[in-house]
Amino acid sequence: MNWDDDSILRWLEPLGGREGDLAEVFGETLTETSLEWRDGEIREARVRREQGTSARWRRGRSEQFASVAGADEAAVREAVRALRASAGREPLPIRAARGATPDAETEAGFPAAERTARRLAAILGRHAPRHAFTLRLRQTERRVVATGRPTASATRRLFSLEGRFTAVSRAGDEQRLFAFHAPMSDEALDELKTALADAAAPRDRAVPVPAGEADAILAGGCAAVLFHEILGHPLEADAGVSPLRALPEARVAVADLEVIDDARRLDLFGGYERDDEGTVPRPVKLVASGLVGSQLTDRAHAPAAGSTGHGRRSGPAEPPLPRGANVVVSGGATDPEEMLRRLGNGIWIDEFLGGSVEIASGSFRLRFPRARRVRRGRFADELGPGVLAGELLPTLEAIEPALGREVRAYRGLGWCARAGQVVPVGGAAPDLIIRRLGVRPEL
Amino acid sequence: MTGDDLGALLARRSPGHWELYRKTAETREIDASPALERAAWRREAGWAARWWEAGAPRFAAASDADGLALALPEAARLTVAAGEPPAWPAKKKSLDGAAAVEPPPALFEDLLRAVAAASRGEAVLAGLTLRRGRAEERIVNAAGLDVAQEHRVFDGVARCVARRPGRAREVRLPFRWESAPETETLARRLADAATLPLSDRPTPFSSGQWLLDPAVGAALLAAIAPLFLDGKPPRWVVREKLAGPAVSIVDDASRDAAFDGEGVASRRMLLVEHGTLAGRLHDLSSARRTGATSTGHGVRPSFRLPPQLGPRRLFFETASPSSSAALLAGVTKGLFASALTAPLRVDLPADRYEAEFTGVSIVGGRAQGPVAGARARGRVSELLRRIAGLSTDLQFFPAPFLAGSPTVYVERASFD
Repeated sequence: MNWDDDSILRWLEPLGGREGDLAEVFGETLTETSLEWRDGEIREARVRREQGTSARWRRGRSEQFASVAGADEAAVREAVRALRASAGREPLPIRAARGATPDAETEAGFPAAERTARRLAAILGRHAPRHAFTLRLRQTERRVVATGRPTASATRRLFSLEGRFTAVSRAGDEQRLFAFHAPMSDEALDELKTALADAAAPRDRAVPVPAGEADAILAGGCAAVLFHEILGHPLEADAGVSPLRALPEARVAVADLEVIDDARRLDLFGGYERDDEGTVPRPVKLVASGLVGSQLTDRAHAPAAGSTGHGRRSGPAEPPLPRGANVVVSGGATDPEEMLRRLGNGIWIDEFLGGSVEIASGSFRLRFPRARRVRRGRFADELGPGVLAGELLPTLEAIEPALGREVRAYRGLGWCARAGQVVPVGGAAPDLIIRRLGVRPEL
Repeated sequence: MTGDDLGALLARRSPGHWELYRKTAETREIDASPALERAAWRREAGWAARWWEAGAPRFAAASDADGLALALPEAARLTVAAGEPPAWPAKKKSLDGAAAVEPPPALFEDLLRAVAAASRGEAVLAGLTLRRGRAEERIVNAAGLDVAQEHRVFDGVARCVARRPGRAREVRLPFRWESAPETETLARRLADAATLPLSDRPTPFSSGQWLLDPAVGAALLAAIAPLFLDGKPPRWVVREKLAGPAVSIVDDASRDAAFDGEGVASRRMLLVEHGTLAGRLHDLSSARRTGATSTGHGVRPSFRLPPQLGPRRLFFETASPSSSAALLAGVTKGLFASALTAPLRVDLPADRYEAEFTGVSIVGGRAQGPVAGARARGRVSELLRRIAGLSTDLQFFPAPFLAGSPTVYVERASFD
């Protein structure tokens, strides 16, 4: 974005007069290539190029927000002009815009699209030749100019593959869902290859998940989805009253449990160097030694310590909200065999399709596509799709102190929607055991 | 770069097989809660092109014409499987001048009071977002189509929290108002959805009649909408006996917009007539594949996506409506589903559905008491055939397309 930051700060100056006022301009340039894959062929190619700008002014509990298409000087002026008019300030004079000078990188589109498509074709051809996938390669460049703060900009490149494939199984052909979300890199494609090969491995015929209460091992890093729902969302600073809010620094889980939200983990899908208000993120302890930790804040909800760098927006047309980024759970010392032995009888889950939480009550649901029954510490039947459900506090209390040794990134966690805004999120977790979870088969 | 320049670019790339779409929109929004009062103004602009190059479909979208001109060659560079272009419509219609967008009214305090009254003080409005907006669309194509139209919207989302000692429930309801605000209806809906689950009372019946609030009926209709789209219907679909004889299902978006997202005229489509499957919806692509003609159901949820087949304003209709009171009086033993407590799940190929809801138990046509949570499940085919009555209180809900339903009477369902 070819912005004259000093001019923008001058335009914002009349809006930032009081202590605590917040006046800023946010711009985004987005390039996205989406490819619809069917059985080894690209059936449709879509390219998106968008630019947008918004301006925001907040004083106390009152906020004015204006967003426009485009990210050149004219767009910035239009957004600030609308803001100043709605705030009752002298309007910004209308002046002819300088021509925008697109960056070289922006002009080139998504540089890795063709190369990635070739590599993906080879990976799919080998491990999942019959499939229906959507690949999204997204690059965003974001810039924030705010009064009283240094200008910040950040670029992110994301790789996101979602869909289904036909697996050849001992029980015959079966449809399996698959999702993989990672920051774009050559290593991500190597990781995808391994993940897809694992997902396509032959399995026995599944029997329905028995309804009732069950002890469960959440394996393969998928526990990150649980903590994203039951800790991340309730501790977002604008979340309203939740069971956790009523218990600041109270013990809610075993002392071995450490959960942080770490946006600095750029190897995970939700990572970033600056949030969408220009703040450098810092890790936030959600549960520290089993005690309820801190909230995830943006500038509008920051205590004296300032924003934790979790002010995020889905795009320039939306104001920032305090949102989680990457939920990371610290590992323990238990190996997988010992986990199974400790579980005894129960179910083993290594994949979630999605989840939700109701903040006020703390009740949550997680959908899983498959599971394994564990009997006397050994894998038994393959189980079909189901739903895990529970309440936040009893579930935290029911986590066993034995945490898995290896902390794995969970690539099935990708896009999180709240209040109509979708942002990338990620997570990593060790295997863990939770007792007495509600389980029932999915339709 | 202008629209004409882009049209010329597309014509060079794909003679005879291109389409150019432009949208400009303006919205005003008020977001109110005890912690925040936000006024937002948005101006959106979007361009999109669809064309067939080297025998394969391509799509590009951008926030301005220059961006779209850059995106065209990028989308053309990728190797894509061949596909046939549709038969493009040709029509001309310009747009008259349109009025500016007024800000939505400040209704938070009114709704706060109405929710408190409807819930007898148990529920509190936690937030209200109201949005008014207008969008202008123009679509041109290689066959000479050049149509423009305007849409207006007045919608929002309300959040409400109800508490009793040791229990809490939060609900979030999206809504759309056709004209004037319907604050009382929204308040009642919020109050019921938030307070009924707190009753702690399970369903007293394992089977019985099932009365669906219009919001639940609309969710059911939205879930079965794929039956009316492209592709082979599931094996269980018997054309003459899809639903009870009282049921007709219609899609008619002509009051919302003169054209669909591909420039085909909107029209009333009778999909189910007195229980018999009577028609299906088509966009240009499905029409080409099946040898049918487009019914005007090429939907653009955003300029960022190519048009896709979908319902636009789908609703239940009946030749012999009853009043809601008459339907209630017909329930000898059953449940009234006031609100869903989880998204309604439907597996159409497997002929299965599952609805988790909160509501009220009814005996002899009289409400007996709240039911915190119940689940109805079974075969979609049986559920549709057991719809024996529809009321006169048709209401529309964003699903995200508009789905409309009155109170629905199902003569038998199983609950747990």
